[in-house]
Amino acid sequence: MSDIKIDKVVDIINDAGKKIVGRTRLQKIAYLLTATGLDDNFTFIYKHYGPFSEGLAASAEFGALFGKLNETKAQTQWGATYSTYTVDDDVPSAEDPSRHTLASIAAASDSIELELAATALFLFSEGYSDPWEETSQRKPEKVTQTRIKNAKALLKELSKVPVPNSIPANLFS
Amino acid sequence: MKTVREKAPADQKSRENIALAAAMVHDVGHGPFSHAFETVGKRLGLKLADHEVMSDELIRNGEIADILNNDIMPGFASNVANMIKKEGKITLHNSVVSSQFDADRLDYMQRDRLMTGSKHSAIDLTWLLANLDIGEVTTGIDDTEVGTIPTFVIGPKAIQAAEAYVIGLFQLYPTIYFHKTTRGAEKLFAEILVRLVQLVQDGDSKRTELPSRHPLIRFAEEPESLETALALDDTVVWGALQLLRDSGDALLASFADRLLNRKLFKCYDIRADIAHRYDPRSTGDPQNIEKIEKSCASVMIKLQEWQGNKEEAVPRIIVDVAEREPYKAGGSTNGHNEQINVRTDGGELIDIQQRSEIVRSLSAYKLTRAYYDPDDNEACEIIAHVIKGEIN
Repeated sequence: MSDIKIDKVVDIINDAGKKIVGRTRLQKIAYLLTATGLDDNFTFIYKHYGPFSEGLAASAEFGALFGKLNETKAQTQWGATYSTYTVDDDVPSAEDPSRHTLASIAAASDSIELELAATALFLFSEGYSDPWEETSQRKPEKVTQTRIKNAKALLKELSKVPVPNSIPANLFS
Repeated sequence: MKTVREKAPADQKSRENIALAAAMVHDVGHGPFSHAFETVGKRLGLKLADHEVMSDELIRNGEIADILNNDIMPGFASNVANMIKKEGKITLHNSVVSSQFDADRLDYMQRDRLMTGSKHSAIDLTWLLANLDIGEVTTGIDDTEVGTIPTFVIGPKAIQAAEAYVIGLFQLYPTIYFHKTTRGAEKLFAEILVRLVQLVQDGDSKRTELPSRHPLIRFAEEPESLETALALDDTVVWGALQLLRDSGDALLASFADRLLNRKLFKCYDIRADIAHRYDPRSTGDPQNIEKIEKSCASVMIKLQEWQGNKEEAVPRIIVDVAEREPYKAGGSTNGHNEQINVRTDGGELIDIQQRSEIVRSLSAYKLTRAYYDPDDNEACEIIAHVIKGEIN
């Protein structure tokens, strides 16, 4: 059983503007916060859909169960189910401007491009010399030239946020 | 594969070979006692304890890679590894390796019931395979559509066989995979391995009483090494247990003895107790279900805290939580298809949950258990007390 850190998930959703659409988005936002040194509460491994934390997933589930955060499920046009996470308005606003800016930008981005960006950053941290090429090979059904361009632009925008561990410039140059 | 060959539009011999090789080698990375070893890896952050990571390494870089690349064709090993990881180009062949009707699942469902002597969960494999068809399903990430992928679908004549398959697979979890005795033994095994690795990494390997070149000691010293991980198997652990009984560490000595002599911890079924108290007639009332879920989670957290605050060398209460969904309806997300689509007589593809009242009515099987020494009355009383406190 993973360590349950409900308050830390609430913080992430709060930092993202009190709302995150999708489990994948939640995972990738948390990973970006972790990779940039703005969070150290969850451990990520590589899964089929990029960096993933079992502890984060379990904490979000418990958070919803205990009413510390809200998880509503809706159906996509093609019949799949996705979650939207929110925290109540009375949760105090985010205190760390860097966390708030980074999480908000990521939350507003396209989920496929966010996944590609987080995956490239993760693969870079794993020592891959060309993480974009590796990302393209691993996710050909998701990769297009436009999406890679936008994913790089997303990392560039995120890199402007002051963080302890900068996003390497060669990932978006 | 015969279905793929019949239904796939073009000659795809190379993809077929990749799928066959992937089906054969997909589990080569399992450590001793398979999934129980993975829980050790998760607790200690040991990458190679994850069988998917280990399999990937072995297929891409080990002896297997040499055989696949030299005897079949250069680059073949990577193609096989990619198909297992659900990466790279997605074709119908991926469904043979990873889908609701993949070869692994269809095999282990039959093998596990045979090897455990269970008579339920039988499936009509012949009829299922005879009625496998192919179709295109949409995939996406969260609320964003990615595209379509080819996959297996079931023909209209096999809806009952598909229902039996969903139910059969689901029922293997409470009866076999989540059996309380097996899980209890796995818990002791995990505690032994976690303590052993921690002792070695703290420079205290002598306390284990294992020789310095023992595979478990070497793995604990170099958990990132493929060679040391590869040297581990069930027999290595069974052999080590005899030596660990003489360990100076109380946990290692006690739990090794328990595993060897089948003196397992006793299981307290927390969920059953709580469910009986809130909903003795199993009405399934949503309010009762919510109370049960919250109480189970709360009891689990409190017992973990209770154990965490103790400074005893040997854990007295070990919590176990697991869950199995009978079927995840509603299409695929993240490009990974776990849906069963049924082709209607009119040629439409619909989710089996939409088509089958039986599948629609199934709910997840959840377990919340605590394990304790049967001679430790206080531990049993603590569990009962925490449950009672939660209910009142």
